Amino acid sequence: MDRPEILKKVNDVFIDVMDDDNIILNYVTTANDVDEWDSLNHIQLVVAIEKLFKIRFTSKEIQSWDNVGAMVDSIISKLN
Amino acid sequence: MLYYPEVMIEPVNYICERIEALNPIHSKKLRKSMEFFDDKYNELAGAFFEKYIQLLHAENKTLDYAIDCYLKMIADVNAETLEFLRTGKYSSSTFDEVNARVYASPETMAYYMHGLILSQFLWKHHYQVFDYFINTLPQYINTTKSYLEVGVGHGLYLSKSLEILDDEASFTVVDISETSITLAKHFTNNSRIAFNLRDIFDFDNEEKFDFITLGEVLEHVEDPLKLLSKLNSLLSENGTLFFTTPTNAPAIDHIYLFNNVEEIRKIVRQAGFQIIGERAFLSEEVSPEKAEKYKIAVLYAAFIKKADV
Repeated sequence: MDRPEILKKVNDVFIDVMDDDNIILNYVTTANDVDEWDSLNHIQLVVAIEKLFKIRFTSKEIQSWDNVGAMVDSIISKLN
Repeated sequence: MLYYPEVMIEPVNYICERIEALNPIHSKKLRKSMEFFDDKYNELAGAFFEKYIQLLHAENKTLDYAIDCYLKMIADVNAETLEFLRTGKYSSSTFDEVNARVYASPETMAYYMHGLILSQFLWKHHYQVFDYFINTLPQYINTTKSYLEVGVGHGLYLSKSLEILDDEASFTVVDISETSITLAKHFTNNSRIAFNLRDIFDFDNEEKFDFITLGEVLEHVEDPLKLLSKLNSLLSENGTLFFTTPTNAPAIDHIYLFNNVEEIRKIVRQAGFQIIGERAFLSEEVSPEKAEKYKIAVLYAAFIKKADV
């Protein structure tokens, strides 16, 4: 799975968790750009992404994400 | 004496701005809470923070210290929530575990208590429950000659009960935590209160109590039914018990998981009580459907009395 494919899947997870069909992510999107991306939704996103890709993040990895691109790169590193 | 003019004027604004700078993603939750708060909140929160800041200063601490404590508590809650959503369980299941991890650790207890104090006026659902309590308690002024609080925490509910109930009423506190009792003593500063540093199961009293408050304690014990049954034995025949407890609320010292409000109601009935009035407040601004799907905490509060035989 390449970077754009993962971004698309992550985008679908955001839409589902935040219940907002209008969310369009790119690699530099941050929590500041998405109103509903608060601390609770952040945790829900992590768990939903873990389930979808059958992976498990560490706390250090989760804290290191400063945008969606970092999140996608973390997923790629787990899948390879 | 330390003095912070900006803090004395608008403590809640100061706290929110500081949290926005330190943890912007969490500050979104606080902004939603602030939109809900009204003039009554401003009055209560103003009086509360005036007292609280005095207490901090007496201990040579600042409001910044309390904010750091709050953010440490939030980091704990987030980590616990992540694990809860992965496993469907709280991370601890025995009192011994949380005692070693939290209650017997003065450093953890200190930041946890100060964090909880701030949450009282930063989280909408904590304020809603407090508001429900202080709006309903006046109904019990004439019938309450003796008041017992179990698990006094920071002493806010006790402090308000002292204000609302009859001047002749007696006040008793039982708490297992020395940190809580010290904090509540500072906060209430009233010689009418008899403080007991003791496990409630080792506590007995010749006279029964007319009103008992049990704020967010049931989730901290291994057997909440046993605790409610014990309180039933301490309550006078026509007495009232006010309690609160959350569903799906992972925290470093939560042991007993209530999956939904009906599970709480069930043990209330099993312990020989009937519900007089109840409220359930969602901890986040989401639809009930989303709350159920994502196991979002609900804070349940009820006034109960002994069941009619």
